[in-house]
Amino acid sequence: MMDINNLLDFESEEPLLNPPAKKRKKVIGLDDLLTDFYKEEGNLIEKAAKCAKAKARRNNDSDEEDQDKEASLCELVDTCENKIIEIGGKEDSFLWGICVFGDQKTPSPLAIPELKSCTMFQSFTDNKLNSEFEICTDNGDTLLEGLIVNGWLSKVVLARGHVEKSVAMWTFNLMVYSSKEKLRTSACDFWCAILSSENEQVKIDWFPSYSELKLALENYGFLFNSSNMEYVHSNSARQGPAQNIRAWIKYATTSCQVRSKTAIYLTSEAEELVEVIIYLFLDRQLQGLFVLLHECMQSAISYFTDNEWESSCEKIAKSIARRIPKDVNCLRIVECILGANSRSKLFRSAVAYQILLSCFDYKAQHEEEILNLLISINVKDKNCDFFKVYVYLVLTENWLLSNQLGEAKRVLNEMWRLYLRNCSCLIASTDLRSFASKVRNKASYLLQGTITQ
Amino acid sequence: MENPSSQRTVAGALEENILAILDSTEADDTQYANDDRTAFLDAVRAASLVPENGTPPTYKWFASIFTILRIGKSLELTMASFKLLNELDKRFPRVHLSVVDESKSSSKPTVIVENEAWSPFVFSSETSNEREAADNPGGSIDSSGFQLLIQDLADATAEPNFQASETKSLGNMLLFQYLVNVLEGDFQPRNCVYAETANWVLLRESLLNMLLVSRKLNYKNLMKDCLAIMYENFDTAATIALLEIGNNTCIAMQKFLILIMELDVSKKAAEMQGSTTRADGVRTPLLEMVLDELTYNIDILDSFLQVFKSEPKWKLEVVVQYLWKYIGKPSVRTRRSNGPTDDASFSGALKCFSNITSTKSTIKKIRPELVQLLLAHGLQAHLSLPCKRHVEGSSASSEETSNSSLIEVSENIISAFRNLKTADKKMEILPLGKEALFTAATIISTKS
Repeated sequence: MMDINNLLDFESEEPLLNPPAKKRKKVIGLDDLLTDFYKEEGNLIEKAAKCAKAKARRNNDSDEEDQDKEASLCELVDTCENKIIEIGGKEDSFLWGICVFGDQKTPSPLAIPELKSCTMFQSFTDNKLNSEFEICTDNGDTLLEGLIVNGWLSKVVLARGHVEKSVAMWTFNLMVYSSKEKLRTSACDFWCAILSSENEQVKIDWFPSYSELKLALENYGFLFNSSNMEYVHSNSARQGPAQNIRAWIKYATTSCQVRSKTAIYLTSEAEELVEVIIYLFLDRQLQGLFVLLHECMQSAISYFTDNEWESSCEKIAKSIARRIPKDVNCLRIVECILGANSRSKLFRSAVAYQILLSCFDYKAQHEEEILNLLISINVKDKNCDFFKVYVYLVLTENWLLSNQLGEAKRVLNEMWRLYLRNCSCLIASTDLRSFASKVRNKASYLLQGTITQ
Repeated sequence: MENPSSQRTVAGALEENILAILDSTEADDTQYANDDRTAFLDAVRAASLVPENGTPPTYKWFASIFTILRIGKSLELTMASFKLLNELDKRFPRVHLSVVDESKSSSKPTVIVENEAWSPFVFSSETSNEREAADNPGGSIDSSGFQLLIQDLADATAEPNFQASETKSLGNMLLFQYLVNVLEGDFQPRNCVYAETANWVLLRESLLNMLLVSRKLNYKNLMKDCLAIMYENFDTAATIALLEIGNNTCIAMQKFLILIMELDVSKKAAEMQGSTTRADGVRTPLLEMVLDELTYNIDILDSFLQVFKSEPKWKLEVVVQYLWKYIGKPSVRTRRSNGPTDDASFSGALKCFSNITSTKSTIKKIRPELVQLLLAHGLQAHLSLPCKRHVEGSSASSEETSNSSLIEVSENIISAFRNLKTADKKMEILPLGKEALFTAATIISTKS
């Protein structure tokens, strides 16, 4: 985190800062000032450049005074530029987003047994229809691709009640690695169809294991090692995940829904899967998959049994809290857990709580201590980092509200309200520091909520 | 405030509080304003969806969320508002069926409509509408607004460099998907009760019907654009978001077309009973329009049938009706008044290819390659029909019947291809035909 007060330094350069002309309804926010500041800066730099050029053209008869002026102007321009870069960098860090995908790798080919040797195929090549209509004359690849793209394959294997290993491996491989949209989506449809088939009799000879799924994700460039996770800068063009990620997510969603039939993943694997989905939410390139990712998360957390979930939920939350940067991304994560059912609510609360603990370097041992630490933050202090306070506020809100404060947690409730009162009453409405008004507004909004509850 | 006098003030305070989060945003484009919008969406979710007995969303909340979806400041906000609206509609439907008292046999479900509820559609005859719409770009949509949206989508998907206008187009696609969900949520319960009560007024007042009868809407152009959008393929250079949302748009478009087809069927029934009036207008049934389009534009037949697969019942209907245009309707078939035909009629159509003579006379009227396509797609739709029989009747006998019907259809397909080949020696078997034959042969060999 950069020091927020750096932002305020530009106020000392008053001549540059004309008061905004338009009438405002409310107290001028810092962002408004920034916008104006930018504009003014832009104009000034341009003018300075023009001036300099004009001067250069005016032979070398410039006197010392001119040179002095020029030097000071250059200096001014330099400081302005630095400020802009500084502020720009600061703005970026308020935008969530982490590079969860690095460079894509070339997958090592899966050793798929000869497709043509599968009995589904063999029994047909012996059929007289085959020669009559010249259906399968080559090695069968064209026919098989047609069968999968046009959706026949799932009908055929369901009718036969048997998915042979070669077919299973071949289709899985298409799904996670094919660069052809039609092949990968129809292979995904195939797997979803056979996994969710009502027919209990279907025998599936080979299931992709979790490590296969994980390997695919690694080949898309997913960085399982958190130290590689970076901020996204708006101008950085990088390789993202392969487009197969959509099929991957859909498959993961469906595979978690069939636990009653087959427990495909170990508990620890399912825990990692939930964590991975959370990180996928943080990649801005996957914003368009918002709905898909939510379905996947929903399905993944319903994979656990009730007993498992209680401990897994905390484990996942702890792991996430240790790995993610303590910035606006924390808020994004908590927002992404929608709290649609009791499991999801528990999860949201646990994640918020664990991140809070981690924000305070695990200094707090239990819930009340965390609130004590929060209350002890002096919001009147001129060095108070309101962005941090804002993050704490939202995290605490989610930890406590999803936690359904009962009578037993009365103390917590009282402490929470005290903290809210601190934030809503002790910050002056004239405080123009970044996030000060956000903290104040949020706190008073939440305070209203605790009263009307 | 500590002791609210009534529930109403509490709700009112909550409404104002949540709306206040948006106070400073207005037309603002900054990240701060977008943060506030996100916070607003989250607050509505926390109030309405997270608690088990959540506060029903107020009119203003709905309107504000919809505005966020429509103005589309960022993909993040568009996605979040889209999801929230759909979830709110699911939890708090504007139209739903009454709970039927099982103990009384006479009790039938009725439709309950929340009249005061907010709606993304506005169909008033006031002339000021257009100006209003222009003044309020984030407001509700009328018929001409809907037509414009479809037009924009069709234009955008036709563009070679789609990327340029991506964010706006993605927003439009999600808006369209949401509107279709609203139309469906409004239409399905009404149509359900209509099937029981034959009360046409229910459907006349449906959003879908009001949308389509509006004079501000050019139905033919709308349908042309709709079809164009449906079989749009996005190339591999498209972004992940575009592939996903484009694909969902295509599915939503099918849903939209099928809703209209279902409305057409019910409307026809109402006409036969004399329940409709002149005010209900005359509209060519969509199925006929689609068939005409596919007849005059044979090139798109395959791609249409490839895409139009989310409802096998209707896909089969298209195939069967198309075939019947050429093979002459069997005399036993009376004009249906209710719902699409059952799958038996596909078998009926197959019979026309059961011997050389009738096959020969048919392929004088329709190219054998087209017959191959229709038969293959017909088989595919037939195989995709929901296997109610498998689920409902776990008894061995029903399983047998379904198996025997599958085998029968498969056998008929194979003999139809044989007859086609005999009737036209030069005919090439299309890849799709080969796939159908492989499937049919495998089904026969495993089931018999």
